Amino acid sequence: MRNLAILAMAVVCLVDLSSCGTTSFTPPPVTPELAQTGKGQHGDIAMLREGRALFVHRCIECHTLPAVSSHSAQQWPRLIDEMAGRASLKPAERKAVLAYILAARTQ
Amino acid sequence: MEPGTSRSDGFPAAGGIRRARFLVFILLLSILPSISVFGGVRRFTFLYEANTSARGSLELENWVTWQRATGPDRFDQVDFRHELEYGVTDKFQVSIYLADWFYERDREHSGFAYSDSAIELIYNLTNPVVDPIGLSIYGELRAGDRLIELESKLIAQKNFGPLILAYNATLEAVWEGSDLAEREGEFSQALGASYEVSPRISVGIELLHESVFPEWRDEEGIRNLFVGPNVSYRHRNWFVTVTALAQATDTDSEPDFQLRTIFGVGL
Repeated sequence: MRNLAILAMAVVCLVDLSSCGTTSFTPPPVTPELAQTGKGQHGDIAMLREGRALFVHRCIECHTLPAVSSHSAQQWPRLIDEMAGRASLKPAERKAVLAYILAARTQ
Repeated sequence: MEPGTSRSDGFPAAGGIRRARFLVFILLLSILPSISVFGGVRRFTFLYEANTSARGSLELENWVTWQRATGPDRFDQVDFRHELEYGVTDKFQVSIYLADWFYERDREHSGFAYSDSAIELIYNLTNPVVDPIGLSIYGELRAGDRLIELESKLIAQKNFGPLILAYNATLEAVWEGSDLAEREGEFSQALGASYEVSPRISVGIELLHESVFPEWRDEEGIRNLFVGPNVSYRHRNWFVTVTALAQATDTDSEPDFQLRTIFGVGL
Protein backbone atom coordinates (compact mmCIF):
# COMPACT_ATOMS: atom_id res chain seq x y z
CA MET A 1 0.00 0.00 0.00
CA ARG A 2 2.88 2.32 0.83
CA ASN A 3 4.44 1.56 -2.55
CA LEU A 4 1.21 2.43 -4.31
CA ALA A 5 1.10 5.73 -2.44
CA ILE A 6 4.64 6.55 -3.61
CA LEU A 7 3.66 5.68 -7.16
CA ALA A 8 0.53 7.82 -6.97
CA MET A 9 2.55 10.77 -5.68
CA ALA A 10 4.99 10.38 -8.54
CA VAL A 11 2.12 10.40 -11.04
CA VAL A 12 0.68 13.54 -9.47
CA CYS A 13 4.10 15.21 -9.74
CA LEU A 14 4.32 14.22 -13.39
CA VAL A 15 0.88 15.65 -14.18
CA ASP A 16 1.62 18.75 -12.15
CA LEU A 17 4.88 19.37 -13.95
CA SER A 18 3.18 18.98 -17.29
CA SER A 19 0.70 21.72 -16.49
CA CYS A 20 3.16 24.51 -15.85
CA GLY A 21 6.29 26.05 -17.22
CA THR A 22 6.27 24.16 -20.49
CA THR A 23 6.17 27.10 -22.85
CA SER A 24 9.84 27.98 -22.51
CA PHE A 25 10.79 24.63 -24.11
CA THR A 26 8.14 24.73 -26.82
CA PRO A 27 9.12 25.96 -30.28
CA PRO A 28 7.06 29.03 -31.20
CA PRO A 29 3.82 28.30 -33.07
CA VAL A 30 3.42 29.34 -36.68
CA THR A 31 1.41 32.54 -36.88
CA PRO A 32 0.82 34.94 -39.76
CA GLU A 33 3.29 37.25 -38.02
CA LEU A 34 5.95 34.54 -37.98
CA ALA A 35 5.33 33.84 -41.67
CA GLN A 36 5.90 37.51 -42.41
CA THR A 37 9.30 37.64 -40.73
CA GLY A 38 12.03 38.52 -43.18
CA LYS A 39 9.28 39.61 -45.60
CA GLY A 40 8.20 35.98 -46.01
CA GLN A 41 11.59 34.89 -47.30
CA HIS A 42 11.48 31.71 -45.18
CA GLY A 43 8.44 30.25 -46.91
CA ASP A 44 4.66 30.37 -46.79
CA ILE A 45 2.59 29.59 -43.72
CA ALA A 46 1.71 26.04 -44.84
CA MET A 47 5.36 25.21 -45.35
CA LEU A 48 6.29 26.64 -41.96
CA ARG A 49 3.56 24.61 -40.27
CA GLU A 50 4.84 21.45 -41.92
CA GLY A 51 8.36 22.37 -40.89
CA ARG A 52 7.35 22.82 -37.25
CA ALA A 53 5.39 19.54 -37.21
CA LEU A 54 8.39 17.69 -38.59
CA PHE A 55 10.79 19.48 -36.23
CA VAL A 56 8.86 18.50 -33.10
CA HIS A 57 8.24 14.93 -34.23
CA ARG A 58 11.29 13.72 -36.13
CA CYS A 59 14.07 15.41 -34.18
CA ILE A 60 12.99 13.98 -30.81
CA GLU A 61 13.47 10.48 -32.17
CA CYS A 62 17.18 10.80 -31.39
CA HIS A 63 17.63 13.74 -29.01
CA THR A 64 15.64 16.27 -27.06
CA LEU A 65 14.63 19.35 -28.99
CA PRO A 66 17.23 22.14 -29.04
CA ALA A 67 16.15 25.77 -28.80
CA VAL A 68 16.05 27.33 -32.26
CA SER A 69 18.39 30.01 -30.89
CA SER A 70 21.01 27.43 -29.85
CA HIS A 71 22.69 27.60 -33.27
CA SER A 72 23.27 30.39 -35.75
CA ALA A 73 21.43 30.80 -39.05
CA GLN A 74 24.64 29.71 -40.77
CA GLN A 75 24.99 26.55 -38.66
CA TRP A 76 21.42 25.23 -39.01
CA PRO A 77 21.55 24.19 -42.71
CA ARG A 78 24.63 22.03 -42.12
CA LEU A 79 23.15 20.48 -38.97
CA ILE A 80 19.90 19.60 -40.70
CA ASP A 81 21.75 18.15 -43.68
CA GLU A 82 23.79 15.97 -41.34
CA MET A 83 20.75 14.57 -39.56
CA ALA A 84 18.21 14.47 -42.41
CA GLY A 85 18.96 10.85 -43.24
CA ARG A 86 18.44 9.60 -39.71
CA ALA A 87 15.26 11.67 -39.42
CA SER A 88 13.96 10.27 -42.70
CA LEU A 89 13.52 13.78 -44.13
CA LYS A 90 12.94 14.10 -47.86
CA PRO A 91 14.45 17.18 -49.59
CA ALA A 92 11.19 19.16 -49.43
CA GLU A 93 10.74 18.24 -45.77
CA ARG A 94 14.33 19.23 -44.98
CA LYS A 95 13.64 22.60 -46.62
CA ALA A 96 10.45 23.05 -44.57
CA VAL A 97 12.22 22.30 -41.28
CA LEU A 98 15.00 24.74 -42.09
CA ALA A 99 12.50 27.41 -43.15
CA TYR A 100 10.62 27.06 -39.86
CA ILE A 101 13.78 27.18 -37.72
CA LEU A 102 15.14 30.24 -39.51
CA ALA A 103 11.78 32.01 -39.25
CA ALA A 104 11.43 31.10 -35.55
CA ARG A 105 14.96 32.33 -34.84
CA THR A 106 14.04 35.81 -35.95
CA GLN A 107 11.28 36.15 -33.34
CA MET B 1 4.48 -8.33 -21.81
CA GLU B 2 8.09 -7.57 -20.99
CA PRO B 3 10.41 -10.42 -21.84
CA GLY B 4 11.15 -12.66 -18.91
CA THR B 5 8.11 -11.83 -16.85
CA SER B 6 6.61 -15.23 -17.64
CA ARG B 7 8.57 -18.42 -17.32
CA SER B 8 7.95 -21.51 -19.38
CA ASP B 9 8.63 -25.06 -18.33
CA GLY B 10 9.16 -26.40 -21.83
CA PHE B 11 12.65 -26.75 -23.32
CA PRO B 12 12.33 -27.60 -27.00
CA ALA B 13 15.36 -28.67 -29.00
CA ALA B 14 17.86 -26.11 -30.24
CA GLY B 15 16.59 -26.71 -33.79
CA GLY B 16 13.60 -24.43 -33.15
CA ILE B 17 15.88 -21.56 -32.19
CA ARG B 18 18.08 -22.16 -35.24
CA ARG B 19 15.01 -22.03 -37.48
CA ALA B 20 13.88 -18.76 -35.88
CA ARG B 21 17.33 -17.22 -36.37
CA PHE B 22 17.36 -18.32 -39.99
CA LEU B 23 13.96 -16.69 -40.57
CA VAL B 24 15.22 -13.44 -39.02
CA PHE B 25 18.27 -13.53 -41.27
CA ILE B 26 16.22 -14.09 -44.43
CA LEU B 27 13.77 -11.35 -43.51
CA LEU B 28 16.56 -8.85 -42.91
CA LEU B 29 18.25 -9.70 -46.18
CA SER B 30 15.03 -9.07 -48.05
CA ILE B 31 14.44 -5.68 -46.44
CA LEU B 32 17.93 -4.17 -46.16
CA PRO B 33 18.39 -2.96 -49.74
CA SER B 34 15.28 -0.79 -49.73
CA ILE B 35 15.45 1.08 -46.45
CA SER B 36 18.17 2.97 -44.63
CA VAL B 37 16.71 5.27 -41.99
CA PHE B 38 16.49 5.25 -38.22
CA GLY B 39 13.41 4.44 -36.14
CA GLY B 40 14.35 6.20 -32.93
CA VAL B 41 16.30 6.03 -29.72
CA ARG B 42 15.01 4.46 -26.51
CA ARG B 43 15.92 6.29 -23.30
CA PHE B 44 14.21 3.63 -21.20
CA THR B 45 14.09 -0.15 -21.39
CA PHE B 46 11.14 -0.96 -19.09
CA LEU B 47 9.00 1.92 -20.38
CA TYR B 48 7.82 2.99 -23.79
CA GLU B 49 7.98 6.60 -25.00
CA ALA B 50 5.07 8.36 -26.66
CA ASN B 51 6.73 9.39 -29.89
CA THR B 52 6.52 6.88 -32.74
CA SER B 53 8.97 6.13 -35.54
CA ALA B 54 9.25 8.34 -38.59
CA ARG B 55 7.25 7.27 -41.63
CA GLY B 56 9.17 4.70 -43.65
CA SER B 57 11.84 4.07 -41.02
CA LEU B 58 12.91 0.57 -40.08
CA GLU B 59 14.90 -0.45 -37.06
CA LEU B 60 16.14 -3.70 -35.60
CA GLU B 61 16.19 -3.91 -31.82
CA ASN B 62 17.86 -6.67 -29.86
CA TRP B 63 16.86 -7.02 -26.23
CA VAL B 64 18.77 -8.94 -23.59
CA THR B 65 17.37 -9.18 -20.06
CA TRP B 66 19.20 -10.97 -17.27
CA GLN B 67 17.14 -11.82 -14.19
CA ARG B 68 18.48 -13.25 -10.97
CA ALA B 69 16.53 -14.49 -7.95
CA THR B 70 18.43 -15.51 -4.86
CA GLY B 71 15.64 -16.69 -2.54
CA PRO B 72 14.21 -20.21 -2.12
CA ASP B 73 13.09 -20.15 -5.77
CA ARG B 74 16.59 -19.30 -6.90
CA PHE B 75 17.08 -18.95 -10.67
CA ASP B 76 18.96 -17.15 -13.39
CA GLN B 77 17.25 -16.37 -16.64
CA VAL B 78 18.46 -14.52 -19.73
CA ASP B 79 15.77 -13.42 -22.18
CA PHE B 80 16.42 -12.47 -25.77
CA ARG B 81 14.17 -10.55 -28.13
CA HIS B 82 14.69 -9.62 -31.77
CA GLU B 83 12.29 -6.94 -32.88
CA LEU B 84 11.70 -5.13 -36.16
CA GLU B 85 10.05 -1.73 -35.85
CA TYR B 86 8.52 0.07 -38.83
CA GLY B 87 6.99 3.53 -39.10
CA VAL B 88 3.82 3.18 -41.19
CA THR B 89 3.00 6.87 -40.77
CA ASP B 90 4.48 9.50 -38.48
CA LYS B 91 1.85 8.52 -35.91
CA PHE B 92 1.48 4.79 -36.40
CA GLN B 93 4.17 2.21 -35.77
CA VAL B 94 4.18 -1.56 -36.20
CA SER B 95 6.65 -3.93 -34.58
CA ILE B 96 7.17 -7.63 -35.02
CA TYR B 97 8.86 -9.64 -32.31
CA LEU B 98 10.52 -12.16 -34.56
CA ALA B 99 11.48 -14.38 -31.66
CA ASP B 100 11.50 -14.22 -27.90
CA TRP B 101 13.68 -16.96 -26.45
CA PHE B 102 15.55 -17.53 -23.22
CA TYR B 103 18.17 -19.40 -21.30
CA GLU B 104 17.16 -20.54 -17.84
CA ARG B 105 19.03 -22.19 -15.01
CA ASP B 106 17.55 -23.22 -11.69
CA ARG B 107 17.93 -26.05 -9.16
CA GLU B 108 16.29 -28.63 -11.41
CA HIS B 109 17.27 -27.87 -14.98
CA SER B 110 18.91 -25.50 -17.42
CA GLY B 111 18.67 -24.83 -21.12
CA PHE B 112 17.43 -22.69 -23.98
CA ALA B 113 13.82 -22.45 -25.11
CA TYR B 114 11.79 -20.53 -27.66
CA SER B 115 9.07 -18.53 -25.94
CA ASP B 116 6.89 -16.69 -28.43
CA SER B 117 6.52 -14.20 -31.26
CA ALA B 118 4.30 -11.12 -31.28
CA ILE B 119 2.94 -8.12 -33.13
CA GLU B 120 2.81 -4.72 -31.50
CA LEU B 121 0.96 -1.60 -32.69
CA ILE B 122 1.44 1.93 -31.33
CA TYR B 123 -0.65 4.96 -32.30
CA ASN B 124 0.49 8.40 -31.24
CA LEU B 125 -2.25 10.83 -30.21
CA THR B 126 -0.41 13.92 -29.00
CA ASN B 127 3.14 15.26 -29.05
CA PRO B 128 5.23 15.41 -25.85
CA VAL B 129 6.88 18.70 -26.82
CA VAL B 130 4.10 20.95 -28.07
CA ASP B 131 1.02 19.44 -26.40
CA PRO B 132 0.39 19.58 -22.63
CA ILE B 133 1.18 15.87 -22.50
CA GLY B 134 2.21 13.37 -25.16
CA LEU B 135 -0.04 10.32 -25.34
CA SER B 136 0.06 7.06 -27.27
CA ILE B 137 -1.96 3.86 -27.15
CA TYR B 138 -0.40 0.46 -27.53
CA GLY B 139 -1.75 -2.97 -28.38
CA GLU B 140 0.08 -6.28 -28.54
CA LEU B 141 -0.83 -9.83 -29.44
CA ARG B 142 1.59 -12.56 -28.47
CA ALA B 143 1.49 -16.24 -29.34
CA GLY B 144 3.89 -19.01 -28.50
CA ASP B 145 4.27 -22.54 -27.30
CA ARG B 146 1.16 -22.98 -25.12
CA LEU B 147 0.86 -19.23 -24.67
CA ILE B 148 -1.49 -16.48 -25.84
CA GLU B 149 -1.33 -13.00 -24.45
CA LEU B 150 -3.09 -9.70 -25.02
CA GLU B 151 -1.60 -6.48 -23.75
CA SER B 152 -2.75 -2.88 -23.90
CA LYS B 153 -0.91 0.15 -22.70
CA LEU B 154 -1.39 3.86 -22.23
CA ILE B 155 1.85 5.76 -22.77
CA ALA B 156 2.29 9.29 -21.45
CA GLN B 157 5.32 11.49 -21.82
CA LYS B 158 6.36 15.08 -21.35
CA ASN B 159 9.58 16.70 -22.51
CA PHE B 160 10.92 19.63 -20.50
CA GLY B 161 13.93 20.66 -22.54
CA PRO B 162 16.60 18.03 -21.79
CA LEU B 163 14.38 16.25 -19.24
CA ILE B 164 11.95 13.53 -20.34
CA LEU B 165 9.30 12.14 -18.00
CA ALA B 166 7.37 9.04 -19.03
CA TYR B 167 4.54 7.00 -17.55
CA ASN B 168 3.06 3.69 -18.75
CA ALA B 169 -0.09 1.95 -17.50
CA THR B 170 -0.30 -1.64 -18.77
CA LEU B 171 -2.99 -4.27 -18.64
CA GLU B 172 -2.16 -7.86 -19.60
CA ALA B 173 -4.22 -11.02 -19.97
CA VAL B 174 -2.38 -14.33 -20.34
CA TRP B 175 -3.61 -17.82 -21.22
CA GLU B 176 -1.01 -20.56 -20.95
CA GLY B 177 -0.47 -24.24 -20.30
CA SER B 178 -1.18 -27.33 -22.37
CA ASP B 179 -4.81 -26.39 -23.09
CA LEU B 180 -4.42 -22.66 -22.31
CA ALA B 181 -6.37 -23.30 -19.11
CA GLU B 182 -4.05 -21.31 -16.84
CA ARG B 183 -5.03 -17.67 -16.74
CA GLU B 184 -3.32 -14.66 -15.32
CA GLY B 185 -3.90 -10.93 -15.36
CA GLU B 186 -1.47 -8.19 -14.56
CA PHE B 187 -1.74 -4.45 -14.13
CA SER B 188 1.52 -2.60 -14.08
CA GLN B 189 2.56 1.01 -13.88
CA ALA B 190 5.97 2.38 -14.73
CA LEU B 191 7.52 5.78 -14.25
CA GLY B 192 10.74 7.05 -15.74
CA ALA B 193 12.84 10.18 -15.89
CA SER B 194 15.70 10.69 -18.30
CA TYR B 195 18.04 13.66 -18.55
CA GLU B 196 20.07 14.36 -21.68
CA VAL B 197 23.55 15.28 -20.46
CA SER B 198 24.82 15.58 -24.03
CA PRO B 199 23.25 14.94 -27.46
CA ARG B 200 24.64 11.40 -27.30
CA ILE B 201 24.14 10.48 -23.64
CA SER B 202 21.12 10.33 -21.34
CA VAL B 203 20.91 9.09 -17.77
CA GLY B 204 17.81 8.44 -15.73
CA ILE B 205 15.77 6.29 -13.42
CA GLU B 206 12.96 3.78 -13.93
CA LEU B 207 10.35 2.52 -11.49
CA LEU B 208 8.07 -0.44 -12.17
CA HIS B 209 5.10 -1.53 -10.06
CA GLU B 210 3.22 -4.74 -10.85
CA SER B 211 -0.04 -6.15 -9.52
CA VAL B 212 -0.41 -9.81 -10.48
CA PHE B 213 -3.75 -11.62 -10.55
CA PRO B 214 -3.41 -15.43 -10.89
CA GLU B 215 -6.62 -16.86 -12.34
CA TRP B 216 -7.67 -13.20 -12.58
CA ARG B 217 -8.18 -13.05 -8.85
CA ASP B 218 -6.43 -10.99 -6.22
CA GLU B 219 -6.52 -13.50 -3.39
CA GLU B 220 -2.74 -13.67 -3.09
CA GLY B 221 -2.29 -9.89 -3.24
CA ILE B 222 0.92 -10.11 -5.28
CA ARG B 223 2.59 -6.71 -5.61
CA ASN B 224 6.09 -6.17 -6.95
CA LEU B 225 8.12 -2.98 -7.09
CA PHE B 226 11.37 -2.56 -8.99
CA VAL B 227 13.52 0.55 -9.21
CA GLY B 228 16.89 1.39 -10.70
CA PRO B 229 19.01 3.64 -12.94
CA ASN B 230 19.46 3.69 -16.70
CA VAL B 231 21.92 5.08 -19.21
CA SER B 232 21.56 5.53 -22.96
CA TYR B 233 24.16 6.21 -25.63
CA ARG B 234 23.48 6.89 -29.34
CA HIS B 235 25.67 7.56 -32.31
CA ARG B 236 24.79 7.82 -36.00
CA ASN B 237 22.17 5.14 -36.71
CA TRP B 238 22.47 3.06 -33.55
CA PHE B 239 21.85 3.29 -29.83
CA VAL B 240 22.28 1.22 -26.72
CA THR B 241 20.31 1.63 -23.48
CA VAL B 242 20.89 -0.23 -20.23
CA THR B 243 18.71 -0.39 -17.11
CA ALA B 244 19.48 -2.14 -13.82
CA LEU B 245 16.47 -2.78 -11.60
CA ALA B 246 16.41 -4.08 -8.03
CA GLN B 247 13.30 -5.48 -6.38
CA ALA B 248 12.10 -3.22 -3.58
CA THR B 249 9.48 -5.72 -2.41
CA ASP B 250 9.99 -9.24 -1.07
CA THR B 251 8.42 -11.58 -3.62
CA ASP B 252 10.45 -14.81 -3.74
CA SER B 253 9.27 -15.91 -7.19
CA GLU B 254 10.30 -12.61 -8.79
CA PRO B 255 13.88 -11.63 -9.63
CA ASP B 256 15.83 -9.67 -7.04
CA PHE B 257 17.81 -8.07 -9.80
CA GLN B 258 17.25 -7.39 -13.50
CA LEU B 259 19.59 -5.96 -16.08
CA ARG B 260 18.15 -5.08 -19.48
CA THR B 261 20.05 -3.91 -22.56
CA ILE B 262 18.43 -2.78 -25.80
CA PHE B 263 20.64 -2.32 -28.83
CA GLY B 264 18.92 -0.68 -31.78
CA VAL B 265 20.18 -0.04 -35.29
CA GLY B 266 18.53 1.72 -38.22
CA LEU B 267 18.37 -0.43 -41.33
